[in-house]
Amino acid sequence: MFSFFRDGFYKDFVVLLILTILLGTVFSAGIAWALDAYFGDTLNEMIGEYGQYDIILHIQEDAKEAAFRELERIQEQQFPGARLSETISLAGQANFFFGLPEEFRTKETMTNLASYFAAVPGLTGHTIISDPSLLIRNVHGSVADVLAEKIEQIPGVRFTFPDVGNIIVLLEEPSLSRTVEAQVNQLIDEYQLVELRFPMGFEVDTQQVGAQAIQVLKETLPGRKYSNVTAAQYGEDLNAFLKTLVEMRDFLMSYASKVRITADPEAHLIIGEQIAIQADGAAPLKEGGLLTDENVVIEITAVSGGTAEGMIIRGEIAPSMESLKQTGYRVFSDGQIARPIGEVEVENERYRLAYAIDESLRLLEELEVLSVQAADAVDNADAVLNTFQEALLQLEVLQVQMRQLNEGIAGGGSASSEQLLMSLLINGLFQSLAQAAMQAGENSLDSLENLDVAAMRASLEQISSQIANVQSIDVQAIIRQIQYVRDTLPMLGDEEIGRSIRLINTYIAGQVIPGERIQILVEEGSVDEGQVEKLLREHLDNPYLNIYSTSVGVINPDARSEIIRLLTEVRAIIAGLLAVVFTSAIMILDHSTLFSTLKYLKRAGKEKVSRWKRLLDPVYILGGILGAVILGAVYSLSGAQIPYMSLSSITLIGLIIGILVACFAERFSPVNAKEVMAGQALGLSNVQIMREIVIPSSRPGLMNFLNRWKQQF
Amino acid sequence: MLEINSIRKSYAKTTALDNVSLKVNQGETVVIMGPSGCGKSTLIRCINRLTEPDSGEILVHGQNILELSDSELMEFRRRVGFVFQQFHLIGRLTVLENVMFHLVLAGADRSWAEKRAAEALEKVGLSGVHSRKPEELSGGQQQRVAIARALAAGPELMLWDEPTASLDPILVWEVLEVMEELVRTSSTTMIIVTHEVSFALRVADRIVLMDHGRIVEEGHPTSVFADPISEIGIKYKKLLAS
Repeated sequence: MFSFFRDGFYKDFVVLLILTILLGTVFSAGIAWALDAYFGDTLNEMIGEYGQYDIILHIQEDAKEAAFRELERIQEQQFPGARLSETISLAGQANFFFGLPEEFRTKETMTNLASYFAAVPGLTGHTIISDPSLLIRNVHGSVADVLAEKIEQIPGVRFTFPDVGNIIVLLEEPSLSRTVEAQVNQLIDEYQLVELRFPMGFEVDTQQVGAQAIQVLKETLPGRKYSNVTAAQYGEDLNAFLKTLVEMRDFLMSYASKVRITADPEAHLIIGEQIAIQADGAAPLKEGGLLTDENVVIEITAVSGGTAEGMIIRGEIAPSMESLKQTGYRVFSDGQIARPIGEVEVENERYRLAYAIDESLRLLEELEVLSVQAADAVDNADAVLNTFQEALLQLEVLQVQMRQLNEGIAGGGSASSEQLLMSLLINGLFQSLAQAAMQAGENSLDSLENLDVAAMRASLEQISSQIANVQSIDVQAIIRQIQYVRDTLPMLGDEEIGRSIRLINTYIAGQVIPGERIQILVEEGSVDEGQVEKLLREHLDNPYLNIYSTSVGVINPDARSEIIRLLTEVRAIIAGLLAVVFTSAIMILDHSTLFSTLKYLKRAGKEKVSRWKRLLDPVYILGGILGAVILGAVYSLSGAQIPYMSLSSITLIGLIIGILVACFAERFSPVNAKEVMAGQALGLSNVQIMREIVIPSSRPGLMNFLNRWKQQF
Repeated sequence: MLEINSIRKSYAKTTALDNVSLKVNQGETVVIMGPSGCGKSTLIRCINRLTEPDSGEILVHGQNILELSDSELMEFRRRVGFVFQQFHLIGRLTVLENVMFHLVLAGADRSWAEKRAAEALEKVGLSGVHSRKPEELSGGQQQRVAIARALAAGPELMLWDEPTASLDPILVWEVLEVMEELVRTSSTTMIIVTHEVSFALRVADRIVLMDHGRIVEEGHPTSVFADPISEIGIKYKKLLAS
């Protein structure tokens, strides 16, 4: 069969093979290069040329004109000679490039670069794009300064400067990037950050527990340096949101009706299962019946011995200060009511709260009236006391006069005849009266005089003062606020509360809500995460403690280098894919003609062979070799690189393509057996048959194209 | 001129030629006949090695062509004209090109080849169709082009493999007429495989009857058909009588 190649056709074939590989290389590399150049130009338009700019300022679209004016001012006044240009706007954000003149590219300026632009209207952020540089992301604050200092000692590093938790390493030459990166990586690897994470709601004293953990590590894993570098990082949006959700859930749970279940001894309650009770005005529940919309459904949230707690997830109970006690029935998932499980007691806390608020408002209103009335009463009491004092004084005067009169009547002697007559008249009558009156008056006066009017007045003044204090309280303001609180209380029913709680639980169930965390910096060696977790769980007696080990920083190439690297990768991938496409196409268009001709010649006059023997058909082997050679060569020469695909894998793919094309060659390029046979009968050589009969009738391809120069007819 | 000695050819489990031997003299016209599948076409194809026999020898002027090298085989084939049942013309070439192209590829001058091709076409009665493509011609015309192609190189041996079998019955006569004329006017040795009994009677110097891969009878047409000894011969006799 391969004698077919002898009479000169092998030369055509070798030329075809070489040209195929060259063309494939040009095709794959060329298109990939063109795409790369296109994207590269687009990139330059988007982020400026290499080293041209230092910072991209992200500005709100609506403020970009004002921002541009301010940037021009900064350019003119603070950085004369700086480059400023606007680039594309994305998602409502305009972007401006700002490039410093070389003399301003100092550590001091770069460190404070963002602050120069702080007053730019509409500024929402910035990205440092100085080149050549390396970006070390997420540098832990505890090592940032030391690390920066050490990095600046590396040859080729111009200086470093911080930028929002990152360190930017400005290099002297772009070519030094890889060597500096390797050395910075070595420096970073000298540190390890071990983070102890406690579950949510787990309050720990980070200093005390941190010290305890360090002590454990020092004792069990000596030879390293440990330090507690815990930094509060709860400001993250997600954490805050999750914490808010948890707080909201706790509030809702306390606001919901309290459900306590006293289970029968044989009823084994499980958290999550549902219990039904009869709602107010609804038909009594029956075992075996179906749940209706009127029934109240409770989900069990906690079980402790024979009692359980739950929350209402469907239906409402009647508002009442009294507890509702009902028999609870277990409910199957299909809504069927099962056996009773015990007594369910429901207390409507919301109603109680609302009731208490209403009563408070009433009390306050009464208090205000009461204070006014009390003040009046005190005033009246004070007036009475004054009157009483005056009366008492009058009585004392009367008593003195009465005594004098009595003494006059008893003495006689020097008195006139009228006085004597009077004395005689009243001697008998009045003497007895005056004496009686005087005796009685003295007794009463004594007791009245014994009253501590001053103390009473002091008491009254104190009461008056207290009433004045009460009156000085702005009761109306209190009433307004309590009314406000009452009005702003959520108008939620138990069912809504229950659903909300379940929803929140569903959301936060899959989230790792950071509780307390302790960060320990490990120097002069590293520790194994798993080993530390096991150790600290045991020593800190907390099985829920998780340990994460992280680097103190991650080197990232700068944004431009990253994009350029990506573009290079994309170019290599495209070249690789094009090489595969080209090989497949060329095998189908060109080589399938050869394979089908060879198969025809081989088949002529030969016995049929078994399927297994056919696998070792020389045409298939030739196809596989050709496919492997073409794809392997095109792939290598075009600089293609498909991720996870080595050259041997690609060669294998070429082999498979070649074998497949050889297998189905007659379908891709059927040979005209009659014409070939005519050529043979006419004494044409194989090369003449190929050039004059087979190739001209084949699919248009490189072989067909090249053949035109040698074709005579 | 041609001597076939004990050739055998099998396809899988089928024996196409079973120990066939035949001698053909220079200038002789031998017609091979027999039922379909009896090995006629295989035999004729073995003569120019379009089909390789499994064993035996085929001597042409004393030289065993089964031992020829590739280049010698090509050279031999150029001296042998072959007319196929289904014409086997090159579809993309014109009629003239079809007739001349193998001459040019064999090294002949293009103008000479063109002249030879035109003469051959004229000989088969197709002077005015030089620039047409085969698909533009009728089946009979196409076969005549194929005959002209075979004749153009001036072969010393012409092999005809059922040249009228694929033709519409009303077109058969024009091909047979050309063939008969050629046999009559040419001194070329011819081996013709055909089912045309009357044609065989008219042109054959010798008739060879084959059956089941063997030559069962051979001789002058009148003796073979008048006094057959083989079963096939008897059938042909009956056919002629009817």
